[in-house]
Amino acid sequence: MNNTVLELENISYKYKNDLILNKINLKINSGEKIALLGKSGSGKTTLISVLNGTIKPTQGEVKLFNESFEELDRKQKSKITTIWQDLRLIEDLSAEQNVNCGLLAKNNFYFAFKNLLNISSFKKAHKYMKLCRLHNSIYDKKIRKLSGGQKQRVAIARSLIQESNILLADEPFNNLDPKLITTIKNLLLENVDKNNTKKSPKTVLVALHRLDLLNDFDKVIGIRDGKIFFNIKRNNLKKIHLEKIY
Amino acid sequence: MNKLKLNYTSLSFLPILVCIPLGYQLINSIHFGGFKLFQEFLISAFNPKIDNEIIITVIKRLNETILIGFFSWLVSIIFGAIFGIISSNIFYKIFNIPNFFCRIIRFFLTIIRSIHEVVWGIILMQIYGINFSIGIIAICIPYIAVNSKVFAEQLENIDYKSFESINQINAPKFSSLLILIWNPIINTFKNFGLYRLECSIRSTVILGLFGIGGIGTSIFLSFQTLNFRELWTYLWSLAILIIISGLIFKKIKFNTTNKILSIFFIAVFFITILFSFSYFLYFIFNNNFENFNSVSFLFKSSSDLGLFYFLKLILETIILSLLSTGIAISLPPLVIGIFNNNTSKIFIKIFAFLLRLIPTPVILLTLLTFNNPSLSLAALTLGLHNAGITSKLLFTNLDSQDKRNYIAMKSLGISKKTSWLLGLFSQQAKSYLAYCAYRSDIIIRETAIVGVIGSVGLGWQLQESLSSFAWQEVTMVLIAYSSIAIVGELINGKIKNSLT
Repeated sequence: MNNTVLELENISYKYKNDLILNKINLKINSGEKIALLGKSGSGKTTLISVLNGTIKPTQGEVKLFNESFEELDRKQKSKITTIWQDLRLIEDLSAEQNVNCGLLAKNNFYFAFKNLLNISSFKKAHKYMKLCRLHNSIYDKKIRKLSGGQKQRVAIARSLIQESNILLADEPFNNLDPKLITTIKNLLLENVDKNNTKKSPKTVLVALHRLDLLNDFDKVIGIRDGKIFFNIKRNNLKKIHLEKIY
Repeated sequence: MNKLKLNYTSLSFLPILVCIPLGYQLINSIHFGGFKLFQEFLISAFNPKIDNEIIITVIKRLNETILIGFFSWLVSIIFGAIFGIISSNIFYKIFNIPNFFCRIIRFFLTIIRSIHEVVWGIILMQIYGINFSIGIIAICIPYIAVNSKVFAEQLENIDYKSFESINQINAPKFSSLLILIWNPIINTFKNFGLYRLECSIRSTVILGLFGIGGIGTSIFLSFQTLNFRELWTYLWSLAILIIISGLIFKKIKFNTTNKILSIFFIAVFFITILFSFSYFLYFIFNNNFENFNSVSFLFKSSSDLGLFYFLKLILETIILSLLSTGIAISLPPLVIGIFNNNTSKIFIKIFAFLLRLIPTPVILLTLLTFNNPSLSLAALTLGLHNAGITSKLLFTNLDSQDKRNYIAMKSLGISKKTSWLLGLFSQQAKSYLAYCAYRSDIIIRETAIVGVIGSVGLGWQLQESLSSFAWQEVTMVLIAYSSIAIVGELINGKIKNSLT
């Protein structure tokens, strides 16, 4: 049975005269936990942007659940959630309002309105903020008043609240102390196995730099100069692989 | 030989050179026929008429002014926000609509705002006759376009990455729009909204001079009858209104986290929209269209405007704008720099306040008491009025600036004037010039007001053509006005971008 959830077919992406992604073919299966490795500027963020449909590739096709991304409706597209490297939070909104934004896809305009007026329920948002170890004293604080680590966890909570099937994360452990890194990593990865409920993302792709965090991943993809150099099981990862990409 | 190096500081003073040709013409056209009147005008400032009758009139007229000003502000700020949204790129990105429509709406709004509210007022009065609601509509038309530009500019600052992020969540499009624009709209309203209310009251006063009603009409009537004591009663009461409203505006703080207040604002928002639409429909269907029939002359009336005469009027309007802008830019730093002590500053501030307070037509009519009508006189009037406004901004910025450089320079034995110039003003020059570039947009539009009274440029021609129902000429003049204003706005936009 074909359990591919995301597929890239011969994807290239050119920005001005630079070829950022070069003929990438990739299949991501349901439930897989993939680590994406590569130097800064190797094309990791662009690859994630292509996977979530933010960037249209210059060439090739992106398929989500075996259907072309272009043909999918809003509901189907919302099965992917992303934690961005630059967080992309709305600075003028409070932490809880930002987390609640993750629920916009499943709610109507009135919900967005209530969220802005602070009259919506923040119960679910608070639950995910607690999971991300965010203290309730920052719930109603504006994003611009939070520390880097707090912002990072707000962005993660916003992503998790979407309860999507696929989670893409671009360096989600930035700005976090070692203890928090473990907590967040467990939240992003281990929950998938333990609960295996709709609430947790089933498929995870995380771009990261720290090799000591690779333990809980099934597969590792190495990218350099916009090309995939290896796509192997984590157990098969050797020094030689890393030398190719770093 | 050393080459002359231009920097922001010298560029702020250079436009004062416009005073050379301006002064030459003013000296040549001076007369002493109305000098006594001018003297009387000045003395009356310290001896305004105060009795029961005039106090009742003042209250009545101020009420009218506040009502027209407030309603035109409310409608223009709300519709300005709506048009700001539909003329911002973010709207078209979210709804995947071709940006072409955005450009069409922007162009349409640029044309509307290029014509001054006085011109709209005169045209509407010509069509519908004098009417309380004409004042509101005349202010609302250009103000909606002006406000929409400010709102759209703020919406352009929305981080594109926030848009991508919300878009990736795949929220419904209206929800995405609301989430992204909410705070920029609220912040623009907080920072800009009350200032526009002040502008709206000022515009009501100016429209009043042309017969719309309110205190402006009383000012004009007392000037026409040379009743200067009564005139100053109205001017001082207007000053009190502006000072009190300024103090109230400073105290008002919008707390958007207050749920009840937010719901109240939203209710006002929708009620205003509903009320405006119903009133618009009422106005359209219940008005006497007898005067409106004169519009049909547009296609029948012939134009007596000669090409060279028309070009001369355009050139006059451009020169008038340039000369006025020159005065508005250079006069405040020059005067503040020369008379740089605390006592002089108080006098300059009072004088600047009076220049802002007294409507330009009244300044012009006062100056006409000892000078013949000329382009220079109109330019001086417009320049002085706007110098009052630019000096307010300059004072505010200088007062809030870090003075360590200035103190350090003075302690080195450098003269007070040089220390002020290099230690204080030089740091403000760039932002000051950027504001002046914005101000010159307004000056171009205001040439219409002084033109009507000072018999120069297109403003004068517009008045003439309207009086004789020469609609073809009116159309030509309006197109010329719009073109000048649009070109001016484009040039000033480039200057502002290079300065910010």
